[in-house]
Amino acid sequence: MALKRVFIANRGEIAVRVIRACRVLGLETIAAVSEADRDSLAAELADRAMIIGPAPPAESYLNIAAVLDAAVEAGADALHPGYGFLAEQPALASACAERGIKFIGPDADAIAAMGNKLAARRQAREIGVPVVPGSASVRTQEDAAVVAAEIGYPLLIKAAAGGGGRGIKIVTEAPGLDDAFATASAEARAAFGDETLYMERYVGNARHIEVQVLGDSEGGVVHVGERDCSVQRRYQKVVEEAPAPGLSDALRGDIRAAAVTLAEAIRYENAGTVEFIVDGDRDAFYFLEMNTRIQVEHPVTEMVTGLDLVAEQLRIAGGEGLTVAQSDIRTQGHAIECRITAEDAAAGFQPSPGRIEAWEPPVGDGIRVDTHCRAGDVVPPFYDSLLAKLIVTGDNRLQAVARLQAALARFTVTGVSTTIPFLRLLACQLDFVKGGVNTRWLEGNLEDLKGGI
Amino acid sequence: MELTEEDVLEILRLIEESDFEFFRLRSGDLNLTVSKKGYVPAGLDGPAAGASVPAQAPPPRPAAEPLAPEPEGETGGMAGVEPAALPEEAVQREGLTPITAPMVGTFYLAPEPGADPFVEVGARVDADATVGLVEVMKVFTSIPAGTTGTIAEVVAANAQFVQKGEILFFISPDDTP
Repeated sequence: MALKRVFIANRGEIAVRVIRACRVLGLETIAAVSEADRDSLAAELADRAMIIGPAPPAESYLNIAAVLDAAVEAGADALHPGYGFLAEQPALASACAERGIKFIGPDADAIAAMGNKLAARRQAREIGVPVVPGSASVRTQEDAAVVAAEIGYPLLIKAAAGGGGRGIKIVTEAPGLDDAFATASAEARAAFGDETLYMERYVGNARHIEVQVLGDSEGGVVHVGERDCSVQRRYQKVVEEAPAPGLSDALRGDIRAAAVTLAEAIRYENAGTVEFIVDGDRDAFYFLEMNTRIQVEHPVTEMVTGLDLVAEQLRIAGGEGLTVAQSDIRTQGHAIECRITAEDAAAGFQPSPGRIEAWEPPVGDGIRVDTHCRAGDVVPPFYDSLLAKLIVTGDNRLQAVARLQAALARFTVTGVSTTIPFLRLLACQLDFVKGGVNTRWLEGNLEDLKGGI
Repeated sequence: MELTEEDVLEILRLIEESDFEFFRLRSGDLNLTVSKKGYVPAGLDGPAAGASVPAQAPPPRPAAEPLAPEPEGETGGMAGVEPAALPEEAVQREGLTPITAPMVGTFYLAPEPGADPFVEVGARVDADATVGLVEVMKVFTSIPAGTTGTIAEVVAANAQFVQKGEILFFISPDDTP
């Protein structure tokens, strides 16, 4: 292992997760914390914690200069960005390179190449990875009408620089096109400073399937199976699982192979995720985007493969080749993760910061909880609302679902509102128990679920 | 005999069309609760029943419990998260109605950095007009004036951290004599 001291430029559960992986490999850890996080679990667990700025993210976790200055001062030889914050900012990766610190992730060029959704789609299409039928870019309403006639309705208008569901418009028929185009254009300019749009076929019965890949500095790439993240609210994932239920072997194999093809083509280094949508009505799949970081839902992959993905990230960054060949990676059993956030589902998912009074996560066979929370901790209002990830495993999917129900029933949190009561109901729904719901299922059942809390 | 996963899925398919609201299925160590339309009855002893969570209110925190040590500064620490007494004298302005923060968070006077503020002193607003935003945990909530009238005073500063109920503006209502 070439690395010695890892600087963690993130907070919350992922900071804790990275510290634990570093310990497994005998690496020193330095936690970057804002003033609001000075007493956090990550600050306590790390060998050293350094305050990089005040609570607001723009002045701390999003401040590249403050992060790099602290990393250099601490003598770190590598930096782990976690997810969110600066994790997919090419500027952080290049700033690390300039200051002689190994960025634990792909290089700035790969982040930038995949960060522009339009460029990423073009690249995918060029190497034969299927993309949703649609346009390269659309500049005028006249162009939009021509493209719409080609791909048919319903269709989506999206911002090229977009992400997180912002700047997306659904157009069901031709008369709505002009208005939707004008609105999407204005929103894209306001939200991303770039009004470039593209259009694509709207897949009504879509499942979100993504493939975990690992690449090393020698160009070797393996996939670590797929995850199904179709249970979403407002384009945010709520429940994720591995493997994806109900895919034919042929389709599963094709999706995994397409992810490897893309990662190989860009000589992708470190852990990444290639996202696809699967059209449930056509048995077809399309490339959506690539995330150039470790993802929130990586534990479900770890639980069914036995790999420690964060440790793999650290080994790859340290210059070691992949420790596993594709033939060594097998999936066994089924894992499901749900995100427990400080939100009051009954009150429209209103955020609920405050002091945690009781914090009693479940323990037992097949239960893993990744969290930074403890009784008495304050959940600050400045950051996102993720408190914990509950991950359960079973020999098969139904056993995992039963364990999820049991584990949620035993998860007690007081002092802040959480999504646990909502998730308890969700985990019992017939469609979810059967498996294979599409990305619109949760939104379509939200009112029933909220009413049951 | 224990059911296989395929058996259970077949059972679910068979009863899917029936008129049930929820049921429990036990086979060996498999213990599943299944519901339609979000309904799970309280009082079930099973794992998914809401009743398995302690129903009593959380114990009150001792009033004297100190907050974690934290630096000085408006936004530095976590002090704003927990309710604190609002200063009494700020609550009253004769003939004026306060507009208060609907929740704890960071208060914004304008829709985005550098943009014009939603309102300034002297602005005429309808009750449902947006006068500011509160951001908490990356979620933005717009603040309606609540009263039709004229903005008389902007109390809170842009990007200031505010508590729930804290006064942000005073408005002079139209119906003031």
